[in-house]
Amino acid sequence: MKLAVVVQRYGADLNGGAELHARYIAEHLAKHADVEVLTTCATDYITWRNELEPGMQLVNGVPVYRFPVRNERNPVDFGRQSTKVFEETHSIEAELAWLRSEGPTSPALISELRRRAHTYDYCLFFSYRYYHAYHGIRATPSRAVLVPTAERDPALGLRIFADSFCSVRAIMYNSFEEQALINQVSGNNHIPSVVVGIGSDVETHPEPARFRQATGIGGPVLIYVGRIDQNKGCNELFDYFQRYLQTAPALTLVLIGKPVMDLPVHPNIRHLGFVTDQEKFDAIAAADALVMPSYYESLSMVTLEAWALGRPVLANARCDVLCGQCVRSNAGLYYENYEEFAATLDTLRLDVTLRQQLGRNGKAYFKTHYSWPVIESKYLDMLERLDRQDMEYVPQLPALPGWIRRRQRTIPPGRQIVDQLPTGPATGRSL
Amino acid sequence: MAEFNIQSDSVDVTKVMAQIRRRIKEKRGADYTEEQIRELASVKLERILDPKQVRSDLVQHYQKLESPKGLEPIAQTEPAVIPDAVPFDEETIYSSSPGLKGRLVRLVRRVMNPVLRIFLNPDPIIFAMARQAEINKLTIQLLQRQTDLVERVNQQFERVGKKFTAREDIDKLNFEVLNNLVVEMTRLAVDVKNHKMRVESVAGRLDFDERRNRALESVVQRQSSPAAGDDGRSAEGREEPRPRNRRRRRSRRRPGTSTNARSDSTTTESSDKSGAAVPTSELPSGSESSNAEASKVTQGKPSDSDAARPPTASTAAKRPTSNAETPDTSTPRPNPPSNDQ
Repeated sequence: MKLAVVVQRYGADLNGGAELHARYIAEHLAKHADVEVLTTCATDYITWRNELEPGMQLVNGVPVYRFPVRNERNPVDFGRQSTKVFEETHSIEAELAWLRSEGPTSPALISELRRRAHTYDYCLFFSYRYYHAYHGIRATPSRAVLVPTAERDPALGLRIFADSFCSVRAIMYNSFEEQALINQVSGNNHIPSVVVGIGSDVETHPEPARFRQATGIGGPVLIYVGRIDQNKGCNELFDYFQRYLQTAPALTLVLIGKPVMDLPVHPNIRHLGFVTDQEKFDAIAAADALVMPSYYESLSMVTLEAWALGRPVLANARCDVLCGQCVRSNAGLYYENYEEFAATLDTLRLDVTLRQQLGRNGKAYFKTHYSWPVIESKYLDMLERLDRQDMEYVPQLPALPGWIRRRQRTIPPGRQIVDQLPTGPATGRSL
Repeated sequence: MAEFNIQSDSVDVTKVMAQIRRRIKEKRGADYTEEQIRELASVKLERILDPKQVRSDLVQHYQKLESPKGLEPIAQTEPAVIPDAVPFDEETIYSSSPGLKGRLVRLVRRVMNPVLRIFLNPDPIIFAMARQAEINKLTIQLLQRQTDLVERVNQQFERVGKKFTAREDIDKLNFEVLNNLVVEMTRLAVDVKNHKMRVESVAGRLDFDERRNRALESVVQRQSSPAAGDDGRSAEGREEPRPRNRRRRRSRRRPGTSTNARSDSTTTESSDKSGAAVPTSELPSGSESSNAEASKVTQGKPSDSDAARPPTASTAAKRPTSNAETPDTSTPRPNPPSNDQ
């Protein structure tokens, strides 16, 4: 079996969610199939500047073909286009213009994919919202398998993507909440799909003492790992935590990751910056709990890592995915406001039995559903299932409307569509 | 929150969250309680009455403001004389002075009219002039109405002017009231400050009394109950800092004192405020405890904030008295039963 993994960026040193997801999947599926990666020369997801050489190179044993991006992103234009499609009634042409503006616009990648399509059994497209996925799916609909990595953001409400969701052979979801969102927005229940997620190579024997010795942090620790960003809910976390310190002055909040906002100066808030995986796992193992304040997550890998290390998670209840994961795993608590934040943190901090039980549940949940053999088998099972389908099956790919209809402003704003989608965790379902 | 505990091994997060949310709701109440309403009201009141937010020179500031000038009455002008409309019809252009001579002229004009029509057509002129006469008539009526309206507006302005004049007088009274308010507010702020200081003083005394009570209770418990267990954790699994006790060898038990030691076995564990059982082994024990140890005991187990707070002048002054009031611990007391009993 020969597979193509098509993703917007790819590299051993890239830590973006979908990109890391793609790399892990490519490397693990490479044990079972002949895998090639098609990607761009960009490494920066803001500018999509061509920073790597086009052509083929091996990354951890997987051949990677890079193609240049035609033009860098113009943030002013992108902002204008985003306003147009997210906030106003717009046309298909406006959505396509938004897609080009968002980037990474790489026609070379698409034409190469079209040329080579017959050599692949299946093409795995990561991240539905980018140029490569939309045009790649249109280029190879009969071989397209989509890993959407979708969140509840206004882009999900764009009409062009509803076509993508209905025009692929299969969809590999990260969570039930993501599946419910996409089903609601596109009505693609007939497309074969499975909730898979992603595994993680977690250190089996982390050393919390090493972390405490290196950092000099004693006492209880709450840890946050990820981009320190207002969009990730960190502002609210800092506010809540500083208020909570009046209750528990010995508690320390450890931050790991790149900050893109001003950090509060407080002796109980320690920023460690970017650390190695080993240090990260030591830190998580040393913590009493991991806090995940993000409002929008497709699947939080760091949450899974915390569970793999037997640590409970305190999640933002307004993130459907995190809340659903906590409920399904019985391994985390969640909060909607400060009162709940304080109460849940009190519970995790003071009730050792509960904390340990949640940690054990998390460990079991990770082992059962997110260990690599499980993930690999889910992918392989889905591909085998597609093999058993009619080989000539080609999804009904709706053609783009004509020149005039493409410019008719009849599509409601993306944000309006997404706001109308039901919220809350998809409870009552298990992996 | 400390009493929250999951008894079962199998945890259901939704149930845990439901418990937490129920507790929050109970704590907060379904609706605002009377106290909370009062608290909210007092917060708003404080904001209004906060003397820091009131400018002391407010009255001067108001006075410096340029007072609105009184409206000047509109100068009365002589009403324009509206001319009467001039009538015009098809006979007007041929008319002449009355009398024989005039009638003769009119006749000649009538006779010569066909000759005139060779040179020009007077009919459109006559029509236009007649129409213009009608327009003039209507215009005059309109002007008349406008003049009446202006007259009524002038009367309204006069009334408004009188109101403004009255308003200026009211403003002067407002300035006076404001001045009195600022003075009273400043006085109240000083009173509040004094009251706060008095409350702090009373709170300090109360705190001292509570500690003293606790110390006395613990001494009584120590006398009446032997230590049991050496587990440093409370029943809730909470790890609490233990006072560092040095185990001392006790003197050999005197005959006849054991009955007192076992007299009250129910006090082997004392409960803290939250209901968590605290083993008595955590309490300072030993009949030989020195005055310094007794002083530690009288401090009880201070909270973090208490520990960080320096002793107030009143507490420092009264501390020797508290030690003096503690029972004489140097008297030999029965030994507590050993753990293996």
